[in-house]
Amino acid sequence: MKKIFFKTALYVILILILLEVIVRVLHLAKDNPIRFVDKHKVEKWLPNQEGYSVTGNRRQNFTKFHINNSGYNSYREFIPTKEKKEIALVGDSFIEGFHQNYYNSIGKKIEDRLEGVEVYEYAYAGYDLSDQLHLIYAYKDQFDLIDYVVIGLKFEDDLTRSEYHVVQDRMHLESPLYKKARSIKLLVYAQNIGILESLWKLAGRLSYIGKKQTNTPKEVISKEAIEKTHLTYIENFKSLVNNYGFDKERFVFLLDTSITPSIFLDYLVSNNYKYLDTYEVLNKSKSPTTLIYDRHWNNHGRRLIAELIANHVFISEE
Amino acid sequence: MVFNSLEFFIFLFIVFVLYWFLFKRHVKIQNILLLVASYVFYAWWDWRFLSLIILSTTVDYFVGILIDSNSKQSKRKLWLWVSVVFNVGLLGFFKYYNFFVDSWIDMFSMFGYNIKSTWTLKVILPVGISFYTFQTMSYSFDIYYKKLKPTKDYLSFAAFVSFFPQLVAGPIERASNLLSQITNKRVFSYDQSVSGLKLILWGLFKKVVIADALAPIVDDIFANYTSYPASTLILGVTLFSFQVYGDFSGYSDIAIGTAKLFGIELTSNFKFPYFSRNVAEFWRRWHISLSTWFRYYVYIPLGGSYQSKWISLRNITIVFLISGFWHGANWTFIVWGLIHALMFIPSFLSGRNKMYAYTNIGDSTPFKTLNELFNVLLTFCIVTFAWIFFRSDSILEAFVFIKRILFNFCYESYNHPMGYRMIDYYILIVLFILYEYRIKKDERSPFKFRSKFVRFIIYTLMILLLMLFYDDDIDRSFIYFQF
Repeated sequence: MKKIFFKTALYVILILILLEVIVRVLHLAKDNPIRFVDKHKVEKWLPNQEGYSVTGNRRQNFTKFHINNSGYNSYREFIPTKEKKEIALVGDSFIEGFHQNYYNSIGKKIEDRLEGVEVYEYAYAGYDLSDQLHLIYAYKDQFDLIDYVVIGLKFEDDLTRSEYHVVQDRMHLESPLYKKARSIKLLVYAQNIGILESLWKLAGRLSYIGKKQTNTPKEVISKEAIEKTHLTYIENFKSLVNNYGFDKERFVFLLDTSITPSIFLDYLVSNNYKYLDTYEVLNKSKSPTTLIYDRHWNNHGRRLIAELIANHVFISEE
Repeated sequence: MVFNSLEFFIFLFIVFVLYWFLFKRHVKIQNILLLVASYVFYAWWDWRFLSLIILSTTVDYFVGILIDSNSKQSKRKLWLWVSVVFNVGLLGFFKYYNFFVDSWIDMFSMFGYNIKSTWTLKVILPVGISFYTFQTMSYSFDIYYKKLKPTKDYLSFAAFVSFFPQLVAGPIERASNLLSQITNKRVFSYDQSVSGLKLILWGLFKKVVIADALAPIVDDIFANYTSYPASTLILGVTLFSFQVYGDFSGYSDIAIGTAKLFGIELTSNFKFPYFSRNVAEFWRRWHISLSTWFRYYVYIPLGGSYQSKWISLRNITIVFLISGFWHGANWTFIVWGLIHALMFIPSFLSGRNKMYAYTNIGDSTPFKTLNELFNVLLTFCIVTFAWIFFRSDSILEAFVFIKRILFNFCYESYNHPMGYRMIDYYILIVLFILYEYRIKKDERSPFKFRSKFVRFIIYTLMILLLMLFYDDDIDRSFIYFQF
């Protein structure tokens, strides 16, 4: 009987090794760049890394990324000067764009439309407004030289904090254990396609065994509670702007008005904050603007966003 | 607990270790372990319906003893009827009650009487009820026909009824095969266990890679059949043929493989049915345990084919209609059965229903094989046509589906509802057919290659394909659970 355990274990090990080789050769798993916190306490990618981002079980979306000297995914280096015209795009994964080839980014598309302009994409998955304003504040010298700063903003996600601090949960992903696990590509692939999810679900179910099940009714969030949360977010916005500063002349928000409460939009307008509405351009489009496999903008969506920003700059220049 | 879940494999490992390491010397304790494991396995869905299994077990256990202890034929028959009425009654209540009520109401409304139904009940269909009730009935039938002596060991009998690998979707075992194995001592066999593991892998492949991968496409096409062109509808029903085969035969393979791990051999349920050369052969290869059950307990008692042609035809039609109705409380299943009866009857009348009983496609000369391939294709088309009724929600839907194919033919390329490349699925199906053709001689040895290296590569490729087509978001339950 021991033979069956021994041989099964041997086969499992050999199969896992071969699968690891296949996953690497076919590049089924995505590469994870290393993140770090710089001397200004800004969380970003470790400079000068390259790799491939993969989406889907069968590599349905496969794109190259390139982390530049500044620690962001871009084909160019960020060297602002007084002489040149520059635009900074500050935002999260939508602008960071691991789901696209780095030379086909929103920034590149803007540059193609505006001759002589350089676009710097200071974007990092998970950045909220506190990350973004802290970054601008920390690199004030650089940002002062940049002519236009476009800041991506999602009201419900990006205004939960009133001050900046490093998000430790994200930095835990750089612990030695996670790093080791990431070096096993088969494990990364299994995680990406959701196989490991079943493990966590099972662990969750097992932890409930023996415990008394309480059927707590689903909490219904009242209108008052939602309004209260919105007011808190607006207070957080005010606090962040006060702490880190905001140049209303050069800075403009990029937001979707269909998911932004009118109370906040009214606040922006009445206080002379400018914003560009992505909903208007994306909603008008007859062809899809997001990827099939996730909700990030596809090539067409990125082109529309680039046009929106380029038009804004063009009008401002006039 | 479904076979294609992590829970099941952890559960299986624990039961396997306890079975062979702790209790291997005591068959009684092994049987108690099997019984407890089976009840846990079933209770994972809904523990309340365990009472039905226990009730069915108890009734047939005592009915078996009572049939055997009576020498008078009339009394034996009476006790047999107790078993039949009880088990069919259970099925009737949980599976068919609402169907009969609704059908009566529909019939009255056809004559202009509109009745507002207050009789239909919110009844949940207990998983596996169609399978274990048939299994327990077969026990009573076998004792009645004096092919079996009743067991006096209640625990072994309960383990036979609820044996977890085949409890919820078969194969439907006859007591003469399974109960005798349960009451006798099992000896661990390395070869048998390895063969079981291989079948489990092959079954998982068919379920996850074939059935689950095709499910979203089939669901999309059948849900939106009014807006798709005929070419897409043909694609939908063709893929459903593979989905339902992958799903059910995959389940059966895992069940047979799992049973092997406990030293028990279950009957084969599928023998490459899509390589059948006529409908009669198809039914020798598709859901064999159900066909066998109907042959022994319905067809032969009705007179089989030993009486006049007309009575034989009547018997064939009855068996196919009941077989269709067994699948579900819907007229679509009855029509599905009727189509198969109509397609079976020509083979029967021309005496060709047994001509392929002992051969496989490709056994003869290349020219004959080409001819056979044509017959295989024709049979596949007939079977696939019948699947339209099986898969549709109502007869009307099935007719509209067919009408769109026949009278509104046009071609348009089809895009996967989730945007995946369709070519992946076409290649997958072609490779699957070629592989099945390669292994067609033995349904229990899907990895019969001499070279260990080739076998190893194939195992790895199977697991790779499992990952390439794994989808965490889809419903992973088996189609036949609803029956």
